[in-house]
Amino acid sequence: MSDIPIPISFSAIAPEIVLLATASVILVVGVFLPGELARRLSAAASVIALGAAAAVSATQFEDTARYAFDHTLRIDAFGQGGRMLIFVSGLLAVCVAFGMRDLRERGVEYHALLLAACAGMSLLAVANSFVTTFVALELFSICLYVLVAIETDDLLSLEGGLKYLIVGSVGAAFLLYGAALAYGATGALEFDRMRAALSHGDPHGVLLMAGIAFVLVGLGFKANAAPFHMWTPDAYEGAPTPVTAFMSAATKAVALVIALRVLVTAFPRQSDVWEIGLAGIIFACFIAGNLGALRQSNVKRLLAYSTVAHSGFLLTAVAAHSALGGRALLYYLTIYAAMNVGAFAIVAMREREIGRPAEIRDFAGWGYRRPFVSIAMVVFMLSLAGFPPTGGFLGKLYIWSAAVANGQTYLAIAGAIATVVGLVYYLRVPFALFDRDAAVPAAARPANFPLDAGVTVVTAVVVLGFGIIPSPLIDLARTASSSLFG
Amino acid sequence: MTSALIFLPLAGALAVAILPLPRRLTEGLALLVTLAECALGAAALIGFDAHGGAQYVENHGWISDFGLNAAVRYHVSMDGLSLFMVLLTAVGIAAAAGAAVRLGRERPRAYFALLLVLEFALVLLFTAQDMVLFYVGWEAMMIPLYVLMGIWGGAGRRAATMQFIVYTLVGSLLMLVAIATLGVTAHTFDLPALVARPHESTWLFLAFAAAFCIKAPLFPLHGWLPSAYRESSPEVTALLSGVISKAGAYGLLRFAVPLFPSTAHDWRWLLLGLALAGLLYGSLIAFRQPDARGVMAYSSLGQMNLIVIGIFAFNVNGSTGAIFQMVNHGVVSVAAFLLIGIVEARTGTDLLASLGGLANGRPMFSTVFLIAALWALAVPGSSVFVSELYILIGAFQQAALLGAAAALGMVLAAMYMLRWYSALAHEDDGERVPHGMTDLRPGELAIAVPLILLLLALTAYPFGVMDRV
Repeated sequence: MSDIPIPISFSAIAPEIVLLATASVILVVGVFLPGELARRLSAAASVIALGAAAAVSATQFEDTARYAFDHTLRIDAFGQGGRMLIFVSGLLAVCVAFGMRDLRERGVEYHALLLAACAGMSLLAVANSFVTTFVALELFSICLYVLVAIETDDLLSLEGGLKYLIVGSVGAAFLLYGAALAYGATGALEFDRMRAALSHGDPHGVLLMAGIAFVLVGLGFKANAAPFHMWTPDAYEGAPTPVTAFMSAATKAVALVIALRVLVTAFPRQSDVWEIGLAGIIFACFIAGNLGALRQSNVKRLLAYSTVAHSGFLLTAVAAHSALGGRALLYYLTIYAAMNVGAFAIVAMREREIGRPAEIRDFAGWGYRRPFVSIAMVVFMLSLAGFPPTGGFLGKLYIWSAAVANGQTYLAIAGAIATVVGLVYYLRVPFALFDRDAAVPAAARPANFPLDAGVTVVTAVVVLGFGIIPSPLIDLARTASSSLFG
Repeated sequence: MTSALIFLPLAGALAVAILPLPRRLTEGLALLVTLAECALGAAALIGFDAHGGAQYVENHGWISDFGLNAAVRYHVSMDGLSLFMVLLTAVGIAAAAGAAVRLGRERPRAYFALLLVLEFALVLLFTAQDMVLFYVGWEAMMIPLYVLMGIWGGAGRRAATMQFIVYTLVGSLLMLVAIATLGVTAHTFDLPALVARPHESTWLFLAFAAAFCIKAPLFPLHGWLPSAYRESSPEVTALLSGVISKAGAYGLLRFAVPLFPSTAHDWRWLLLGLALAGLLYGSLIAFRQPDARGVMAYSSLGQMNLIVIGIFAFNVNGSTGAIFQMVNHGVVSVAAFLLIGIVEARTGTDLLASLGGLANGRPMFSTVFLIAALWALAVPGSSVFVSELYILIGAFQQAALLGAAAALGMVLAAMYMLRWYSALAHEDDGERVPHGMTDLRPGELAIAVPLILLLLALTAYPFGVMDRV
């Protein structure tokens, strides 16, 4: 094979090139500029780079798929959809971080790492081989380990970073081991070639089954799916809130995109087995996420457990492994990213006002001080809880339709029960915000930077708008999903 | 017409919420919107063709390809049942808004906006002909309700709201799974298309029935009811008992039974048995309640279970009586709870032991109370008597023993309603009744008298409703 020239396609990795080049320039130039100027310039450069990357992905959003770099990448609308989601989440994370005093000293590093993480995720979204998968996964994971612990004088941040590093490395090791086993069973590393190698013979070899199981576990760590979620609350709590927002939206999105891609491209004949495995993970997510969230008083930890529970919903769409499931996944991932980024942005605002991690009681009466932002928070919580007319409601209906169409009604019913439990903790936040008995908190000095409010408004519009007029997003999701399922 | 009825309250809610008007103007605007909705409803009633089936149809695409070729459509229309439920909603919300103006709620812009959003959701769910659209209304109704209960309620509001949420959402979400299943298997969410091809599925029927029976509530799914009715503000309790409980009965009539006729028929004895137990249980408990709200709450439980008996009697008499009773009981309980609210505002309590003597020198008070009580106990000649009679005839046709047992409910109703009226109105003034408490004021009469007139109109011409459903 070594004598075959590898076809180079720069257009296939154009977003990654843009992002990594910008990250390098930021790091080099940042050294020579005074801190505040460097921070502002790097923020501006990041916004431009992420916008450009998203634009490139949008122009390549076609329903015809092509392979690049000898089948190690598959450029299709499904991957491009995932990429755009990542870039927009990154962009919003830059906006949320802009007003953070704590991050000011490390503004350059923050932006460079964020761009590199986006590049890694972007590569993962279109990966078609286990080698690319692992490289991309490590690229963004290493950036995230540092980002979580970027506030080096904050013990919580360090603790979260360390936990994430150790547990995340174990997850990566699982993935690598699984990939090796699958390679042993098939003799190929590219997903489509694996399927071709598995198209005849025993579909349930021991080696292969172990490989698939390990790959699932490895991706489960990244998607913070239970029972591989134990790092989530600490990392989410310790990380600076913009980083948490970015992780909750982008990491989750890319982990689920690649999970669906691997499973349906490489192992479609084994679906009877991994469906059951996924069902087990989904149940675990519902139980661990909901029970964990019920006991939290810290809003970030609450939302962290909520993302674990949401892994259950999102994996339900993966387990359906149909074109409908793919559409449901992308639709819900978009809404999910918007509502999480929005909610974390609001947490960041309140944290800045009080100068410490925000508990639910810190929001008591805040709705009368900041009514519009608080109404946006109510929208996010209702959407997380699955109420119409938000996108969270349609997303759940969509996912459950996919599950039922695939004969997995039990997953839909489990999801319904999990949703009821979820209400109990999601609605604590709106109740606190508009608590009639609470004293209205004093106005904050200095006032918040308006960019956060902007992020909140944009995400709230996405959550509500695509709940009421979902057709544009559903059309995009259909194009993307059909590019994967053909 | 239907869309105007649906979106007028929503537009009103936005206007009330956004316009920075002073309290008086906010209240005036909100009242104006609710009265305009009543007028629109009346216009729809006048233009309604009694034998025309579903009318004022509007059918547009909403989500063109939701998946598996099943489109979600904005399909709304009104037949007799929908029309009268919409009218009941309009009247109930207008009365509640009037009461809220009288009682001077804190943060009026938010309060009235939520009340109008509630009206929007209720009208949407009563007119929707698409399953997803219906569910949107069904759940959207809960959001303002939670806030109205959880923020403006009484001392125990937090726990009461949470209990209410969990109860109702268990049912609703299972129904959502059932809706997804129906849509996926039938490739449509359109109600007429689904009803045209009846389904047979035990678990789908039970999922739908559970959601509606919790909301109604059917015995023994009423665990949320006592605290919700006690902790909400009086106008919200009036809506819970008068209008929102009817959404449950409406769901049974519109969805659970027509979608799964044979399954529903097979399971009718379970529902009839529970409903009968609920009727007798609710009526007995109502007799023992120490507070005015408690009596009406359990009376409401009993009446709703009587309506369920009418629905599952599976004959024309039963269902006609059930629908008419939905209208009657809606108006009666809105009136009763708003009257209790007036008493609470004057005395600060609704404990029967601390009240009494309202009739002493307060003729308006006692007259209005007496009419509400008499209608609630279904005095012969009243519209409620007519509807209950139809339900009982339907029950007799289904099984004589069922009819006989259900008739006991009417006897019990007389017992608890007379105790209620007597404890409030007779004897000397209670310890909590302030000395020289005045009679009803014009503002209060403006709320109570139209409701009473409506009851008299229903009594004078019951076929105005019964011919159209």
